[in-house]
Amino acid sequence: MNKTFHLIILSLFVAQSLVLYIVEGMLPVPFIAPGAKLGLANLITVIALYALPRKRDVALILLLRIILSTAFGGGINAFFYSVSGAALSLGSMLVFQKCGKFSLIGVSAAGGIFHNFGQVLVACFIVENMKIMLYLPVLAVAGTGTGILIGITAMVTLKHLQKLPLYKRIQQTC
Amino acid sequence: MIRKWDVALIVSLLILSCIPAALFWASGQAASANGTHAIIYVNGKKYKTIPLSEHHGTDTLTIRTSSGYNTILIRDEEIAIIDADCPDQVCVHEGFLKNPGQTSVCLPHKVMVEVQANDASDPDIIRAR
Repeated sequence: MNKTFHLIILSLFVAQSLVLYIVEGMLPVPFIAPGAKLGLANLITVIALYALPRKRDVALILLLRIILSTAFGGGINAFFYSVSGAALSLGSMLVFQKCGKFSLIGVSAAGGIFHNFGQVLVACFIVENMKIMLYLPVLAVAGTGTGILIGITAMVTLKHLQKLPLYKRIQQTC
Repeated sequence: MIRKWDVALIVSLLILSCIPAALFWASGQAASANGTHAIIYVNGKKYKTIPLSEHHGTDTLTIRTSSGYNTILIRDEEIAIIDADCPDQVCVHEGFLKNPGQTSVCLPHKVMVEVQANDASDPDIIRAR
């Protein structure tokens, strides 16, 4: 019973983040810098980071979402960009969350910056030139902006999620 | 809501992100006195070197790879990728490059244009006297 509940909750998170990813692909986004985008799917990662007690589940949700989004659009290159960005972003968010000094907004902004940092690293590797690092300041500013927006949205969502009896059940049994 | 630790974290990360750019810029400024040249990389390998600081008039050059084409325009001392059949057009949006350290990258085709300062002993450059 609990195992089924756990499975369904994780599936819901993966499905929601995949939908956000696909919807984001349909939105016209103004061109700021190569690789800069909203990162709506990260909203689910941030919410899961605070709603799920086991951090292993958050990593699993993120990995499943990336594999599925690679299948739904985006090629193998997009997969490498996503994986490195996601790994650095999730890693940094876990560290900053554990640290306890930062609010959800700060954690999310740091996640946004580190996500772009991971992508720049892969771009450096693919083109075999370190000069791609020149895009880092612009991308970091973009990552901060989207990270703060995602953080505020996650904060409001969590505030309302906590009213649900389901949320307590997630905290106790997942 | 947002705490002062958040602000400190974000500001320090933003400063950190500028360090590589600052290093490249500083090394480019120090060496730009000898003039500039552009290097075109295809697939990570040096494809062509074009002297920029002595260049006059306009030249175009088209690079064809298995993934598509990139058209490069050299206008006086500037260089730009003006056309490409890649989906994102990032390299075309980058516009003209002039100063050492500036780059224009076409990730889908693995084509990259980079402006570098001339090293007095660079054997790849033939200078017009």
